[in-house]
Amino acid sequence: MILYLLRRLVLLAFVFIALSILAFSLGYLFPGEPWQNFSGLRSASSEQLAQLTTLYRLDQGYIAQYLAYLTRIFSGDWGLSFASQQPLLQEMLTLLPATLELAAYALFISFFIGIPIGIIAAVKPDGVLSKLISAIAVTGYSIPVFWWALLLIMLFSLGLGWLPTAGRIGVLYEVNHVTGFMLLDILLSDSHHQQEALINALRHLLLPTLVLATFPTTVMIRFTRDSMLDVWEQSYIKTARAKGLNRGQVLYRHGLRNALLPVIRQIGLQFSTLITLAMITEVIFSWPGIGRWLIDSIYQRNYPAIQAGLLVISTLVISVNMLTEILHTLFNPLARKR
Amino acid sequence: MNLPWITTANTRYLTRLWLLSAASVLSACQPQLPETVRSGLVYCSEGSPESFNPQLVTSGTTIDAISQQLYDRLLDIAPGSGELLPGLALSWQVSDDGLVYQFTLRPDVQFHHTEYFTPSRPLSADDVVFTFNRIMLTEHPFHAQGGANYPFFQSVDWAGLVKSVTAPSRTQVRFTLSRPDSSFLSNLATDFAAILSAEYGQQLQASGNLSRLDSHPIGTGPFRFREYQKDVLIRYYRHRHYWRELAKPEQLVFDIVPNNARRMAKLFTHECDVVAFPRVAELSLISQRPDVDVQESTSMNVGFWAFNTAKAPFNNVKVRQALALAINREAILQAVYFGHATAANSVLPPTSWAYNPNLSAQQFDPIRARQLLTEAGYADGFSMDIWAMPVQRLYNPNALKMAELMQADLAQIGVRASIVSYEWNSFRRKLGANEHDSVLIGWSADNADPDNFFRPLLSCSAAQTGTNRANWCDENFDRFIAQALLTADQKQRRSYYMAAQQYLSEQMPLLPIAHSQRFQAINSTIKGIQINPYGGIALANATKDIK
Amino acid sequence: MAKFRLLPDEYLARSPLTQLWREFSRQHSAIAGLILFSGFFLLALLSPLITPHDPYLQNDALLLLPPSWSELGLVQYPFGTDDLGRDMFSRLLVGARYTFGIAMITVLGALIMGLLLGTLAGMSRGVKSSVFNHVLDLALTIPSLLLAIIIVAILGPGLLNTTWAIMLALLPQFVHGIRNAIAEQLNQDYVIAYRLDGANNWQVFSRIVLPNIWERLTLMATMALSTAILDIAALGFLGLGAQAPTAEWGAIIADSLDLIYVAPVGVAIPGLLIFLAVLSVNLVGDGLRAAAKKRREN
Repeated sequence: MILYLLRRLVLLAFVFIALSILAFSLGYLFPGEPWQNFSGLRSASSEQLAQLTTLYRLDQGYIAQYLAYLTRIFSGDWGLSFASQQPLLQEMLTLLPATLELAAYALFISFFIGIPIGIIAAVKPDGVLSKLISAIAVTGYSIPVFWWALLLIMLFSLGLGWLPTAGRIGVLYEVNHVTGFMLLDILLSDSHHQQEALINALRHLLLPTLVLATFPTTVMIRFTRDSMLDVWEQSYIKTARAKGLNRGQVLYRHGLRNALLPVIRQIGLQFSTLITLAMITEVIFSWPGIGRWLIDSIYQRNYPAIQAGLLVISTLVISVNMLTEILHTLFNPLARKR
Repeated sequence: MNLPWITTANTRYLTRLWLLSAASVLSACQPQLPETVRSGLVYCSEGSPESFNPQLVTSGTTIDAISQQLYDRLLDIAPGSGELLPGLALSWQVSDDGLVYQFTLRPDVQFHHTEYFTPSRPLSADDVVFTFNRIMLTEHPFHAQGGANYPFFQSVDWAGLVKSVTAPSRTQVRFTLSRPDSSFLSNLATDFAAILSAEYGQQLQASGNLSRLDSHPIGTGPFRFREYQKDVLIRYYRHRHYWRELAKPEQLVFDIVPNNARRMAKLFTHECDVVAFPRVAELSLISQRPDVDVQESTSMNVGFWAFNTAKAPFNNVKVRQALALAINREAILQAVYFGHATAANSVLPPTSWAYNPNLSAQQFDPIRARQLLTEAGYADGFSMDIWAMPVQRLYNPNALKMAELMQADLAQIGVRASIVSYEWNSFRRKLGANEHDSVLIGWSADNADPDNFFRPLLSCSAAQTGTNRANWCDENFDRFIAQALLTADQKQRRSYYMAAQQYLSEQMPLLPIAHSQRFQAINSTIKGIQINPYGGIALANATKDIK
Repeated sequence: MAKFRLLPDEYLARSPLTQLWREFSRQHSAIAGLILFSGFFLLALLSPLITPHDPYLQNDALLLLPPSWSELGLVQYPFGTDDLGRDMFSRLLVGARYTFGIAMITVLGALIMGLLLGTLAGMSRGVKSSVFNHVLDLALTIPSLLLAIIIVAILGPGLLNTTWAIMLALLPQFVHGIRNAIAEQLNQDYVIAYRLDGANNWQVFSRIVLPNIWERLTLMATMALSTAILDIAALGFLGLGAQAPTAEWGAIIADSLDLIYVAPVGVAIPGLLIFLAVLSVNLVGDGLRAAAKKRREN
């Protein structure tokens, strides 16, 4: 197992190096001067320029520049944003929790709703209920997320007036930024109006989470169902049934565990799609997360921000991927051998 | 297709349902809500401010957000008549030669108490001197902050006009001019001439944080600054020691929502109390709702199409005239302004006293346009860019749409136009560098003086500071507007302005398109908001009427 | 239960394709999907010939005409007109070309490139293959929208540039899938037998590998097609893809969003079309998968 972990770590390091090379080369690929794209300064005096040239080793070869870039990344100097002229790393650290919060809740929903429904659908694969679930699932992952979001806003916010359309919390509530996770921050604040603020934040959270959860949930339903049906065909299930265990016991002891193994991996694979969807969802619900910030960055031609966004988001996705893979291996001794 | 929100019967039903549920929710939660939330006001604005110091900006969005809320001016403008009223200055005298203006300041005007600054004294003449010296004295410690760019003051040649600002006593301020200027007092009453705190300036100088003067503002206005998150919100709290009646809202939040549809949605869901610039297309729809009021006021503004006259072929007056003739403005008024605007014949709106009624209306005549192009040597037309601003403004609610219409019109005379747009800040930067061929943009007046339309828009000094979008510098025109300033006699001034307008319509550095009405949609429980025809909006007297 | 027969019966004697079709056509949803899919396909091919009006012609006299089922609408303009007086129906028809048609082309491009790279990767072994694999892993982790943003940042917005982006985003999964499928095939006994007969790489590939993986290729392509349609529409909606006045469905939604209270049709119908297009592809894909599974089981 330790050897396996080590191998994974080496692989991880390799992927990160490749990623940083990609991010570094973007400094050259994007329009504008490399020093602008690396520093985030729009203009510089000749003095500053000389200083930047030494700092970024622009007068030396690409490898020296890349090493300098790597040193800067690790020391936390990610340059400034073109748009706000604020340090990028800090800016992103305040935005990332909002995205993580949204994505995490959506994942939870997909997990706790998708998997049980998938199992139900697998119990009687030709039943009416199963057909209905499949129909809902195929609808769910065919619907364009931005349109779905608009429909829900139309119905629940504008039609019925139940839920707000944008943001993380009513703007009149002032919540101090501690962890960046809204619900946690509200609980940490010592305001007398914690409860109202919490309800308000939950109302803001409901629609975006629902929209974002739709795709992963329906994928999860389908995947769990297929996986269950596959496992059901396996000989060890037949053996177990032949031993006289009833359906429920077989399902619980032999079916679920084996069927859910690939589902864990699926989370990792779906995470990248989830982030794409989160970016669109954030734009529609004006959710102040990293996705909306990145899309704004492209409108603003904010190249340093795109570069940094690539690093952060890809690192996030890679880490989640790796984590689920390790989890998968942990639960599945067979996979370790490979 | 029977979507639930399409049919009116359904809408009515839903509205009733929604009102019912809203009413029950409101009555249930009201007593528990904190005061800051209950009396707080949310103004949904269309963009982020560029700075928190009005001296540094011209954009209406920024002025709306900061000027009237955070600051006071020496003089104010009466919204109805355009007359000058005492502001921070109680009274003022002008010398007979029109060169010396002396103001007596109001006593006991307090600056904001905030987390980052605690004032030790009330407003004094030093603050006024500090404020205006920043604009005109290059040796002033804050002068170079933000690039030494004071667009409004530069466009009216402030540094050339004002010789000195001095404080004979703690309550007296004296402005000495180098020549008489009939628009001087009006300029002091504009939203740009906000009074800053000299004491705060000293504190920042001591700590070396000069840039905070413009990002963490201290003023004397009805609200004090609390926080700003770019593209998200601005939060103000009530200024507890305000010299006028205290602001009604305990908290004022500018929720930044650049998208129209989203802003409207927030109005309908009551996330916003006031919405800037509702889409004119939806006005009739909005006014049907019982929970929303629409306010309308005339506004001094003009939307125009400016040609970069320093570039070929736009340096040719015939080309400019041809392009102007090719545009079907009737269609634009319908499609872009939805009929809520009047066609413009001059940059000056007809409500101004200096408007020239004798100007002939701009024609739509593609045949004549083609002739002119042929005369100018462009029989086969040419390719050009139309820059369309990415944001909506009062004077142009949808520049991209307008550009698409014009693209089709121009194709008729063989001109191949492509539409260019950038994010607003890049757009303005590139415009300032005169990278454009032509641009769809406009101007909203800051005061009632006609000079406010001419000098900041088309003078040579404005061409240097980059607010002259036509990049046009013409001696004759500059002479007209300079002469108009030298005299205080309104009749004489008018004749100069009439001549200037006539000259403009011949030279066509820009094609005036429309003067539009200003609209504002507010939640019907909100009372006491007034639209000022000359720029910024005042929100201090807004009350929420909660039953 | 295994069945033993001495002679192949009528069913088994048929070609795999016929068997597949037989299983496919038994599923109502799959057939419905196929009909819808063919409809969109024809529309993408023929739409310029059947539009009643020029989709880009601005008509100043008919701005924001309501759809024809409303009292104020005109029969000639079934879905009304947009705020520049362009016929919505014609724009939506032509939109099939962009959203659906370009998605098809994108997938086709990615498939061909994927086949090339996947074959190279699948047929080679050792360090080269391992490095290649890790680069692929990296590419797989970059969310498609982020990749599109980067490409748009380098090349500027536009339908063509985002097409490249989406192609690039789809490529890794194709390469991955094809590589695995080929590797799987190469391990089969019949390949070794064929090789022993003296077949070279090309013969192995064209005679054995390709016929055995085309089913998987089709499945991968349908999955990629639904992603491609959604991505093109999403990029158009965000203003990074198709630019005005191109009648791409996502861009039409973004365009109409401003007027959603006045003319909700402009948001509702293009969205519905995107949804139906993706749904048809998914139904066909699901049907194919189920049919392929059934065929193998028999």
